[in-house]
Amino acid sequence: MALPLRPLSRGLASAAKEGHGGTGARTWRLLTFVLALPSVALCTLNAYLHSGHRPRPEFIAYPHLRIRTKRFPWGDGNHTLFHNSHVNPLPTGYESS
Amino acid sequence: MTHQTHAYHMVNPSPWPLTGALSAFLLTSGMIMWFHFYYTTLLTAGLLASTMTMFQWWRDIVREGTYQGHHTSPVQKGLRYGMILFIISEVFFFAGFFWAFYHSSLAPTPQTGGHWPPTGIFPLNPMEVPLLNTAVLLASGVTITWAHHSLMEANRKESAQALSMTIALGIYFTYLQMSEYSETSFTISDGIYGSTFFMATGFHGLHVIIGTTFLTTCYFRQQLYHFTSSHHFGFEAAAWYWHFVDVVWLFLYISIYWWGS
Repeated sequence: MALPLRPLSRGLASAAKEGHGGTGARTWRLLTFVLALPSVALCTLNAYLHSGHRPRPEFIAYPHLRIRTKRFPWGDGNHTLFHNSHVNPLPTGYESS
Repeated sequence: MTHQTHAYHMVNPSPWPLTGALSAFLLTSGMIMWFHFYYTTLLTAGLLASTMTMFQWWRDIVREGTYQGHHTSPVQKGLRYGMILFIISEVFFFAGFFWAFYHSSLAPTPQTGGHWPPTGIFPLNPMEVPLLNTAVLLASGVTITWAHHSLMEANRKESAQALSMTIALGIYFTYLQMSEYSETSFTISDGIYGSTFFMATGFHGLHVIIGTTFLTTCYFRQQLYHFTSSHHFGFEAAAWYWHFVDVVWLFLYISIYWWGS
């Protein structure tokens, strides 16, 4: 009671043929090196060129920001996980740096 | 009768569903103990138990499929349905965070200044690193498609090359996001803006890490000759998941980074 063999969907010879409009590996390799990676390179350059340090915003003790209804379960409970003392003020203002 | 006369997979009894359920309980109760009582033992045990469950369960699936031949066409069809349904459930998960973002940003409250972004929030420029992140993920979508076609054309060298480039782009994205997180002038505690921003992008970042891990597993399996040019569902599942992660980013970029700035 053998199960019928599933016919192979693509023969070996058709592996080289990339179909109408060319969607085989060769096309995607071309897109990778001609479009995708150069775009990443250009955007990297753009981000790097615009990355200079900006003047940090003045500290105003707004009640809707720097909320501390419960202390964080790490450190002194007053610093967020990715705290950067240069740009992130505590509820009482920027730290010394 | 010493052999099955059907094409389906009657899985042997396994302890991993039980250890998975136990680890889920440890993780949830562990999070509560950590957040409320600063006690981390349960959570650590939960992380260890869930990691071991995942490793051993998926290892068993690879054994059953690749080495024991249980993944016939109807079985593979079931696996495809399963992965699709899982990804749909993840879409709903992210829909919640997008709902929260739009709820708060379409009708900003007077307490935050009556506009979006709220007073005192200085959002990231969408044309700098966020744009780069978009290019990185879109490029990784191109490279993974190249990898898939190379795999189907039985080109070992190129499929390994393309897959490793996809993984490298995933790592680059994670690195860029982590450095962005350290540079933002706003934090998760900065009101509703901070909450919606970091919950949505944070869970997305976690999914990028999960996707990168899945792709890396596929890379090692490919090196070990697990895939054939016509049977490589593990790779396809990883590719579907990766495209899903990319699409979520596009929604994040357009909604939070661009419209929300």
